[in-house]
Amino acid sequence: MKRPDALIVGGGVIGFAVAYELARRGLSVQLLDKDLPGRATSASAGGLWPVGEAVGLGCGVIYQATQAAARQAAGELAAGEECHDGILPAPFRDLLVSSNALFPALARELQESAGIDIEFRVGGGLIFAVYEPREQEYVDRVTQALPASCRLEQLTPEEAWKIEPLLTREIQGAALLSGEHQVNPMLLAEGFKRAALRLGAEFRNDTRVTALRREGDRIVGVEAEDEFFPAGTVVNAAGAWSGELARTAGLHCPVFPVRGQIVLTQALPRAMNACLSTSGCYIAQKLHGEVLIGSTTERVGFDVDVTPEGIAGLCRGAVRALPLVRYVHIKRVWAGLRPGTSDELPILGPAPGIRGYINATGAFRTGIVAAPLTARLVAQSLLGEPTDQPIEPFLVQRFGAPELARA
Amino acid sequence: MIRRKVVIVGAGPAGMSAALVLAQAGARPTVLDENPRVGGQIFRQPPPGSPAAAARPKDASARHGAELLRRFEAARARIELLNEAYVWGVFPERRLAIGNQGGWQVVQPEHLVLATGAYEYTPPFPGWTLPGVMTPGGAQSLVKTWNVRPGKSVVVAGTGPFLLVVARQLHAAGVAVEAVVELARRSEFLRHAPRLLSAPGLLFEGGGYLRELKAAGIPVLWGHVVFAAGGEGRLQHVELAPCDAAGTPDRERTRRLEVDTLAIGYGFVPRVELAQLAGCELEFQDELGGWIPRKDEAGESSVSGVWVAGDGGGVSGSVVAELEGELAGLAIAGRLGLLDAATLAREKEQRLARLAPLRRFRAALDAVYRVRPGLARLAEPDTLVCRCEELTCSEVDPAIGFGGHDFRTLKVMTRLGMGPCQARMCWPAMMRRIADRTEKSCAEVGPSRFRPPVRPTTVGDLVQLIPFEDHSDAPAGAGR
Repeated sequence: MKRPDALIVGGGVIGFAVAYELARRGLSVQLLDKDLPGRATSASAGGLWPVGEAVGLGCGVIYQATQAAARQAAGELAAGEECHDGILPAPFRDLLVSSNALFPALARELQESAGIDIEFRVGGGLIFAVYEPREQEYVDRVTQALPASCRLEQLTPEEAWKIEPLLTREIQGAALLSGEHQVNPMLLAEGFKRAALRLGAEFRNDTRVTALRREGDRIVGVEAEDEFFPAGTVVNAAGAWSGELARTAGLHCPVFPVRGQIVLTQALPRAMNACLSTSGCYIAQKLHGEVLIGSTTERVGFDVDVTPEGIAGLCRGAVRALPLVRYVHIKRVWAGLRPGTSDELPILGPAPGIRGYINATGAFRTGIVAAPLTARLVAQSLLGEPTDQPIEPFLVQRFGAPELARA
Repeated sequence: MIRRKVVIVGAGPAGMSAALVLAQAGARPTVLDENPRVGGQIFRQPPPGSPAAAARPKDASARHGAELLRRFEAARARIELLNEAYVWGVFPERRLAIGNQGGWQVVQPEHLVLATGAYEYTPPFPGWTLPGVMTPGGAQSLVKTWNVRPGKSVVVAGTGPFLLVVARQLHAAGVAVEAVVELARRSEFLRHAPRLLSAPGLLFEGGGYLRELKAAGIPVLWGHVVFAAGGEGRLQHVELAPCDAAGTPDRERTRRLEVDTLAIGYGFVPRVELAQLAGCELEFQDELGGWIPRKDEAGESSVSGVWVAGDGGGVSGSVVAELEGELAGLAIAGRLGLLDAATLAREKEQRLARLAPLRRFRAALDAVYRVRPGLARLAEPDTLVCRCEELTCSEVDPAIGFGGHDFRTLKVMTRLGMGPCQARMCWPAMMRRIADRTEKSCAEVGPSRFRPPVRPTTVGDLVQLIPFEDHSDAPAGAGR
């Protein structure tokens, strides 16, 4: 491909979803990727928890706890004080909810066009287990803040046990989000990839993009080691690495890696109906029976090592929530790097004053559920079409001038 | 996190010897071992009071082992010992994740000695997963540790002097040993005779085993290979034939022996998972058992403060393992300032001088008892090659054809090595099969990649932090 209309940097779920959306619109598309350790797609639980994540009842619970602990350690918070309430802006919730709604049709589409079963299954929803009065107060607050369409239901312990019989007797109550399901993140990425390939997209792996090439106010292509790849538009879908990539052309894209460690157990017979979220960990049983326990939230740069303390913390959280897993063998543990942003919202769309460049990054904890709509918004924005939803809340401009944002 | 000066993983000959030298120098080393009692595989101690404890063989090696155990016990006050402790991960800066008594702990030593030993190598062949087929070490441990006969009649097959030891022990235990089937050809001994004379004591010991087998009427079939095992639901017969120098059987001359047990093994593979997790560079040394950590004369790996001794650093047997353990212990004592330079140099020279002829002997032995390429071709399309994921040759071979020439790629393509053994069992054979089919060297095919937890660990094992201290009040050897 001599000079594709669009060149996508990064072969994670977002990169392939964008490739698919652009190829579908008739653009010539090339995707460059290097399989670096720590890609978030392969360390994702595959939980589709749109409302849960938007209100801090999914993996975000651990993030809030981690942040509060860090700020407490730094003396910024008094003991017991909450960090911030974890309820993210409504446009973000809308993005996730609308994106989530695309999954049933997407699953059929990728099955037909790419022959891939993304293992989208409707389950018992997402249960947030309440251990402490403080957590119940938070659930009350979230319940009030949410419109009824979000399907959040408060449960008594007995009601929670009815859905999830193995859930600990220790709970005080629970909250059920019944619109939340699961998918296989690797197969989702693979489905987008194959569907894009069938539409003529080109994919080069083992090609590490080292820099953007900028001429004046235009990005004209990318450098990959000693090769130059020209392109009409460059899509930055480099995940945790996208901030570094933008910087090579003097662009500001404040994304930082946030390590998440994950524990996967050996396969069990079906033991869980729903996904579980607690202040200690989240737990999801995958289609083939393995139980996935996630995940730490750590700012340690690009370090993708697992730590014994991290793994043990997750195991403690899992045994507390689901005592049965105590007896299950661990199959493997690994870590991925989420593309984090300071306000937990993605960075989508063009960069101010720059042509030939578009961001598709910063998905933080929600890359899997957000991928279908993210890809549509990016494709629409690139082609100057009206977007399904306003893209403005996700533009990089919200961070202001780089100097300010970095301070 | 707990800190220690020196942690030694493994209480076989290498680990015990390292600990003894360090204890002598005043370092108070910590020794971790998975078993209830020290001794390792070779000097494994039966449970006290068991019939096997009374029936232990009294040959030269066993007498030597008993002496080593006695010395270890005498030094116990100066050694911190944790039995039934396993290391499930090594993290940066020599941080060891240790499982013990249903809990766990992180221990960071200044110096880490990996004396993890080796495990037996059995490449897949038709019928190798039938009940009744086991490794020679497995058969040995049944009779030696548990005083249980593995069956009524046995064929002991594979390669290496260990087969003679096991055949003799099985015979002594009352099992009818129908034959010892040895891959190596007798004529090869003559070619390597000069080097074999480097260690006349060991050569004599081997000769003794052969004479004993002969006296017992047990045939040793040199230059033969067992290429199939069969039976209804369990082993009933084995098929064997003479083979060429590459180990390929001449099936025209097949013989069939009716037995209920086959003890089969082709030497040993060093256990390198902890070294790999610690970041040690590995190199491929076929004659030493495959992938081993690169190390210097004293056993220090490419990672400063991580030492390797014994079969885990290259399979050379217990006599060499002891000397290597002592060398590592001495060097660490020197590093800790517990030995002056002159003493250190003198002690080191002494060990190196004793090692030299042993290594010459071992190299000759390895040349005779080598793993041959024909073994990689014994598996047939429906032969299981990865027992954890239940993959057969017919599932893995096409993936090799499609470019699965390294561990990572083949694992992604087939799930090979994704089970609980983490490819310990399948990869040594699969690596050789890939090398054989692609005309690559094993060094090019590469090692497998271990991830924590490298020992079976449950979610519950990581809930409770254990206090980390010597909890074996009873003297070594008496159990807890």
